[in-house]
Order: sequence, then structure tokens, then C-alpha cells
Amino acid sequence: MELPILPTSVIGSYPKPRWLLRIYSLYELGRLQEEDFREAIRDASVAVLREHERAGIDIPWDGEMGRSEMTEHFTARISGFKFYGPVRVWGNAYFNKAAAVSKLEYSEPLVLDEFRWIKANTTREVVKVPITGPYTIAEWSFNEYYSSKEELAFELAGILNKEFKLLEREGAKFIQLDEPAMLNHPDEVPIAVEAINRAVKGVNMKFGLHVCYSNYNLLADYFDEINVSQFALEFANRGFRDMEFLRKLTHGELGFGVVDVHNPRVESPEEVARAIRKVMGYVEPERLYVNPDCGLKLLDRRIAYQKLVNMVRGVEIVRRELKRAGRETIPFRRSA
Amino acid sequence: MIVPALIGSLPRPVSLAKKIEQYSIGRLSEEKLEEAYVEHTRRAFVKLKDAGIKVITDGLYRWDDIFNPLIGFIDGVEVNGLFKFYENNFFYRSPVVRGELSLRENPIPEWLNTALGIKEEVYPEATLKAVLPGPVTLAYHSINEAYKSLDELAEAYAGVLAELIKELPVGLVELQEPVLAAELSRATREKSDSVSRETAKRLIEDLSRRKELWVVTYFGTPRVLPEGVIVNFDLVEGSVPERFQGRPALGIVDARKTKMERRDRLVDKLKPFLRRYRELYVTPNTLLDFLPESVAWRKLKLLGKLGGE
Repeated sequence: MELPILPTSVIGSYPKPRWLLRIYSLYELGRLQEEDFREAIRDASVAVLREHERAGIDIPWDGEMGRSEMTEHFTARISGFKFYGPVRVWGNAYFNKAAAVSKLEYSEPLVLDEFRWIKANTTREVVKVPITGPYTIAEWSFNEYYSSKEELAFELAGILNKEFKLLEREGAKFIQLDEPAMLNHPDEVPIAVEAINRAVKGVNMKFGLHVCYSNYNLLADYFDEINVSQFALEFANRGFRDMEFLRKLTHGELGFGVVDVHNPRVESPEEVARAIRKVMGYVEPERLYVNPDCGLKLLDRRIAYQKLVNMVRGVEIVRRELKRAGRETIPFRRSA
Repeated sequence: MIVPALIGSLPRPVSLAKKIEQYSIGRLSEEKLEEAYVEHTRRAFVKLKDAGIKVITDGLYRWDDIFNPLIGFIDGVEVNGLFKFYENNFFYRSPVVRGELSLRENPIPEWLNTALGIKEEVYPEATLKAVLPGPVTLAYHSINEAYKSLDELAEAYAGVLAELIKELPVGLVELQEPVLAAELSRATREKSDSVSRETAKRLIEDLSRRKELWVVTYFGTPRVLPEGVIVNFDLVEGSVPERFQGRPALGIVDARKTKMERRDRLVDKLKPFLRRYRELYVTPNTLLDFLPESVAWRKLKLLGKLGGE
């Protein structure tokens, strides 16, 4: 399968429509039937999928309309977790941080319904399925049961592996493992790497790894040891500084974060194009995908959309330049 | 004697966060938001009283992290970029230092006056501390584009804090200085510069001449021990250095784990210190922001039960 050079994608989350937020509130208050709640999520899912497609995104997702939060969605479906209440991440953003209180078990599919729905409704050949990685779920949970974080992370890797095999059978082509916490403890990076490799073992699919707001020098030492084909990293938030570590990315692809998701200012297409030209000094365009820094969900929806539109326009500027050199498409690579 | 105390923040209640959000999108007036702050602070002080916490803070309900909004009141600083606060899933907006630092007019003294008023009403016997980030921690967590060295930047921040401290309506000021124990985490970014231990010690001791200081360290054992101040040690992830001669506060309750400690084990851990010190403050080991609100209050109640031992 061929993709246009510099394929555009999203990282995962997108602002939920206001009406959907109200639906969530009503559901949490017990004032809405399960069936109506699910229907609302599916409608929002298609709306956001279309929004991504309209913006010109090559590899879209539905903005995680059916997910309350990136770890909670998974810990709520894996038995053995318990919730004590929300914990603040920053400002007024919270997540329900779960505690592992007994042996964790894969009791139900985690994202299979989402994938089936999106696959049935997209106009694109490939979608990206973002799934929170085993180390990050372990790191962002309280551990009251396992003897170590390593044990907890490996247990989660086994659970995710079951899900990935299920998705592969259903025709998924591209999973993005979200591991924003994997560099939190420099001494534990080998544990995170091992957990990721266990999670993807035996699955013939394209895997991307998203890591953000971290010291990427710690990751660069492991580029060749992690069994994924793409590293989707954030750069706009750090003003495109300190890109030297990319010299170590000699084979894998880079998902280049070019839109700041914590700043409502919309980047211009020219800014996006400048940033892409800069990163092409480190990674050749045939190994570059372009995406926002991270999930867009904390932005106003109109701003999030305009950021995607301008990101695509910026990519198109560079594509025209590359076309003059005869570089127009790239193959969709699955293997690491 | 053991004196239970709070350090830094309480988890911001979700009900308050919703009000702040409504205010930020223009759906709540400033007056109504202020009412929400007052009401939530009052509730917190009542609960702190019930828990037996003798030295309290205002819970930092008006703060997003230990740097914001203060850094927004400093000329020469822009607030930009989101960075992990050490290895936690907790983020702060980063100070980007673009010019010479100076303190602008700010509402922090007034916020404390409001908190003092509430305290007098519901818990007059408690001592209220102000909470500020320390100059060394501020310097390490800044992106320095203006000063020649981190030493100079820390010095500049100390100047700003000295000015602010003298305006505060309380006698005891807590300086959040985790960086004395845990220098900027490599998890976030490479450290390119450092504050010398001598400078760190001197700057804090200079500030202590303006108001009594309670210097809070966590995530390790502090390598710098300022004199003439109360030093808060994290007994969960660090220890009290043998050479420490001053007044200690001990972070004995783990504020990053939901599992509840056993009171008898905490008492055993405190026994050697009780033999050495006449008065011993006991606290959570770090900010309570890292816990769900319900668990944070259970941990504070447990801490309160250690009081008077």
C-alpha cells in the first residue's frame, strides 16, 4: 500500500462536542440509558472522524469519543483495578487514577468496538488505533497488589497482547502505543522497553510509539531495541529545540509533532512547513509522518480543527517542493 | 511532642475546578469564583481541624502548580510549555526567563488575608503558612534565556521572593524546594546548568532573615541543609542526614500511594527522632495533589492521630 509522502495523522484525542460532554454528565448521573449513551458516542465518533477527514488527515481516528480518559478507559475494562477518585494532571484536568488491588485479568475487549465502528465508517484505507501502553498504565496507576512495577507492567503487556491479536484478526493495520510515562524513571526505561516488546510480540501490524513531554535522549538510546516502526514525538511544545537526538533514529520513522496542543494559537501553514524543513535535516522525508504534538482534546474544538487544517496545508507546501524532486509517495511499512 | 502539619497543596476539589473552568470561559463572574474559593477553603479548614492538623496552608486551591500563577506576576518571565513535575503524571507550565526579573503587583498577599480571615473564623488555634516556590527550584524549572548562569537566575528569583515575602500577612513561609533533594529529573530534560550548593544555602538563609521559613524538600535526601529554618524531609524516599542540626519536619505519610500506612509502624519510625527532638512536625512526604481527594484526607486523618505522641 502506498501513502502520500509526509502522511498526516493525529495522535488520538480530540475535543468532545459540548453536547456529548452533557451526555456523559447525564449518563454519570444515571439519567440516560446505556443504549442512548452508546448511540451518542457513535454519532460523535462519526462526526469527529469526518472532521479529521475534512481537514485532510490521511490516517485519522475518532478522537477517542468513547474514552473518558487515556488510562481510565483501559483500567476500567481490566478486572483487578479499583477507583478511589480523580487525580489532577494539571490546571483543571483530572483523571481517575486506578489502583491495582488484585490480579489483573483481560475480561473484555478494550477497543474492539471502537475499531469496528471506525473501520466501517471511514473513507480512509488506514486508521490509527491509539492504545495506552503497558508501562504507562502501570506508572499511572496505584499498585496495591503486585510486588513491583515491573511485575505489574508485564502483566499489562500480556493483557494488551491479547487485544492486539484480536485487532489484527479484525483487520487493524496501525496501532499507536501511547507511552507518555515511559521515560519518567530513567532507571526503569529497560522495563518499559521490555513491556512494549512483550505487548507487540507475535502481532504482524504497524506499531507506532508515542512519547511526549520527556527527555528524548533517554529514548534515543533504545530506538533500535523497541519493536515498533515509528516514534511519534512532540516538538512544537519545546519550540523545535534539541533535535540532535534524532541522529540516532537511523531506520525507524518519525511521527513529527508540529502543532502545540496546549496553546490556543493556531500555527500558520508556513510555520508548519518551516518546521518540517527543519526536521528533514535530521530524518529524510520518506521516514516522516506529520501529526500534532499530542492529543488535541484540551483545546476548543474550532481551534483544534483549524490546527489540523493548517497542519495539512503546511504539509502540502512541503509536498509540492518534494514533488519537484519526484518524491510523492511512500510505502506503508509494517515491520520495525 | 509531635505536631501534625500540612505542606503545600491539597487536591483541588473537582467541584472547585468546574467553577474555575466556568470562569475561564466567561460563564461565571469573578465574584462567584471568589465565593467558591472562600467556601472551599472554609470546608478544607474545617476538615483540617477535624483531622487534628495544627499547622496548615490554604491548600493552594488558587494555584495550578507550585509555580503558577506566581510566575505570571513576575516581569521578565513568560509562561510557556508544559513539563512533567519530576516523574509524576502532574505537569507545570514552565517559566521562560526572557529578561531581568522583578515582582509585579500581585494578589497573593490578599489571598492569604482571605485565608487568614477564614482560619480565624473556623480554626483560630491553627498556624497558617504561606506557600511559595523556592528560588533554587524556580531556577531549575525555568528555561533560562536571560541570565548568565543558573546561580544568577536563582539569585534573581530570591530577590523577587524577598520582596513578596515581606508583603505577606503571615509569620511563617513555606518554601517548596524539592530540587534540594531531587535535582531536575532527567526524565524531563537534560540538565545543562546547576545552582551551586553554597549559593542555594546562602539564598535560602538570606530569605529566612525576612520571615521564619519552612523549607520543604522531597523525592530524596537533601544535599543542601540551610540553617536557621525548619527543614522538611521526605522519610518515604529519603532520610534525615546525620549532620542535620536544625529543626526537622518529617514527611512520613506517603502522598503518592493509596495504600494506607499503619499507625503503629509510623510511630515506630518516629521513635528515634522523638528521642532527639523536643518538637517534631510530621507531614505528608510531598504534595497531596498526587492522591485522590478522599485518600488524601484519610492520610491527613492518620497523620493527625500521631499528634501529641
